[in-house]
Amino acid sequence: MYKVVVPGDFISTEVNRAGDGTYVEDGNVYALKYGVVDDRGTIKVVALSGKYMPVNGDVVIGKIVEISFPYWIVDIASPYEARLRKSEFGRGENIDFGNMCEYLDIDDLIVAKVMNVDVMMRIDLALKNEFKMDGVGRLIEVSPTKVPRIIGRSGSMIRLLKDKSNCFIFVAKNGRIWIKGSSADMDIASQTVMKIANEAHTSGLTDRVALFLDSFKSEKGEG
Amino acid sequence: MGQEVIEDIRKDYVYDLIEKGKRADGRGFLDFRNIVVERDLIKKAEGSTRVQIGDTVVLVGVKVEPGEPFPDTPNKGILMTNAELVPLASPEFESGPPGENSIELARVVDRGIRGSETIDLEKLCIEEGKKVWMVFIDIHTLDNDGNLVDAAALGAIMSLLNIAIPYEQYGLTGEDMQIRDTPVAVTVVEIGGNLLVDPSVYEESAATSKLTVISNADGSISGLQKSGSTGLTEEKIVQMTKIGIEKAREIREKYLPKI
Amino acid sequence: MKEEKIELIKDGKRLSGRGFEELRSIKIEVGVLKRADGSCYFELGDNKVIAAVYGPREMHPRHFQNAKMAVVKYRYNMAPFSVDDRKRPGPDRRSQEISMVSRKALDPVILRELYPKTAIEVYVEVLQSDAGTRTAGINAASVALADAGIPMRDLVSSVAIGKIDGEVVLDLDAKEDNFGEADMPIAMIARTNTITLLQMDGRFKKEEFERGLKIAMSGCRKIYELQKDALVKKYSKSGNEE
Repeated sequence: MYKVVVPGDFISTEVNRAGDGTYVEDGNVYALKYGVVDDRGTIKVVALSGKYMPVNGDVVIGKIVEISFPYWIVDIASPYEARLRKSEFGRGENIDFGNMCEYLDIDDLIVAKVMNVDVMMRIDLALKNEFKMDGVGRLIEVSPTKVPRIIGRSGSMIRLLKDKSNCFIFVAKNGRIWIKGSSADMDIASQTVMKIANEAHTSGLTDRVALFLDSFKSEKGEG
Repeated sequence: MGQEVIEDIRKDYVYDLIEKGKRADGRGFLDFRNIVVERDLIKKAEGSTRVQIGDTVVLVGVKVEPGEPFPDTPNKGILMTNAELVPLASPEFESGPPGENSIELARVVDRGIRGSETIDLEKLCIEEGKKVWMVFIDIHTLDNDGNLVDAAALGAIMSLLNIAIPYEQYGLTGEDMQIRDTPVAVTVVEIGGNLLVDPSVYEESAATSKLTVISNADGSISGLQKSGSTGLTEEKIVQMTKIGIEKAREIREKYLPKI
Repeated sequence: MKEEKIELIKDGKRLSGRGFEELRSIKIEVGVLKRADGSCYFELGDNKVIAAVYGPREMHPRHFQNAKMAVVKYRYNMAPFSVDDRKRPGPDRRSQEISMVSRKALDPVILRELYPKTAIEVYVEVLQSDAGTRTAGINAASVALADAGIPMRDLVSSVAIGKIDGEVVLDLDAKEDNFGEADMPIAMIARTNTITLLQMDGRFKKEEFERGLKIAMSGCRKIYELQKDALVKKYSKSGNEE
């Protein structure tokens, strides 16, 4: 079990190790968020809820919500909407006001990279190579604070999940998770993702998740 | 804390699932989610009930106060039903004066109570033309995960059971209010030709049509409300009504006394 | 509000049997609503309040946006059945003032500058009222903000101090409030002893005010511990269930 802290809790006097989710006052490190303490390396408080805040380089899953020439306006599960410029499709394309929706229409989902966040919180996106989520699979949304746990230390959790569920799984920084596979496999993968999200604050999670995934296998075997 | 919303890449996830005979939470088309009721949580109200259907939570309070009768019904008590879709209950609800959805919710619940004549309004007369009892049913939504109307209607009738009219407080005497019937609302939705009861918030948005059927202990109907922007065939309406009456009977047997 | 005089203290005890510096019983539950980003149910004696937090999310209408920081919205609302005489639904002058002072009680701890142009929305519903609803609301809202993952320097805790039958007492109930001589709600950042809300009506002698403030502050510290316990409990409980 990790140590749970609430805002204002004293954590440490090692101010030079203060990291994300903490603040320093009068020579002490305090919690800035409600969450669990991670003091490997810097001292961090990992929140267990909260909204996605875009950072340059993040890969996110977005949903087109508006077309406003020359931009597509994209919901990225953040307090701020992002925009995607028509030139993202290359200079050769003849995109104008009338045909933008033929490239990307309202409600289309895309995989994109955050290229720039300015002080006014205007967010520019760039398309990833395989940007268009081709109408197959399932989308799960979890709090972005759970993403590190779903990926695991150097990708251990997500590898486990992919191997044992036989699904393609893509975890975007903004908490949206794209799962592709057979309907039964997607059920297993989504249930497991939910379990990880719900128990993100507990230790020994990888082992429990492995057992959880195996339980489906034995069920299948018996049936 | 529930951020774990499943959507699907196809907009019609709920729709496709239902085509396969499934619902996102695993229940059958004609199954309600788990219902939990708690009565008399609010001491300041003459009657109150918290109804939870799945993750939908509604708190209904009934207050009884003396007031002036309407001029056209000088010997009848007054029944008023009000609903507040407070912004606490859903990211879609906004502050401000009641919108059309909260007015509809209140009026549908009101119609069920009124139509069933479960309350004898004439017995609520204190002095003809001068003073009658006013019964206020206030519906306070706390968490909207769909099907507020069935939860609110159940909360309303349960709150009305065994209400002690506050005679003493106003220096009066009289008998307690009797409940003569037990109207129960059941909402049936149509999604891709299939009929489902107790829609979740996702199912509500995927539904093409919605019919709330309020029925009484003897199987008669005392309130109907069709919503949604698609039409319904006669056959479907008859089917939905049948389902509504049948499910209402199950709920009545479980949560309401025999009258 | 003073009607016929009733005795509020008998044999050195309050009518409820509480001591002069004793809080009513408190119950706190975290994360009680599914749709909200953060939520808290708070009971203080016969007061029952529930708080929900949404956001930070896009601020509407846009001209209310602040380009440098989030705007905190706070709505205190009483259910019509929460009081003895049914309350007409909707905002009135009292609830608007309470909403404002409550918002200002919480503003100092929220790192609003991290979320320019957004709104952080706090909704407090009073389900049953028995004096002290604004303090219960602030306590609930503070926990709900933490539950929503909002970055905050501290929690905020709140309680009222008052005067009945000439005695300074903590946390007035409705009877004490109606027939008492003074009522003073405060809100405080317990870690730094910073007062973020202070109101008073009635009449205190200067010495009573100073002593009352000290008692109220120690009441806030007790509530602060309960708020922390409730938050920690949420994650210690749900962890090991399989």
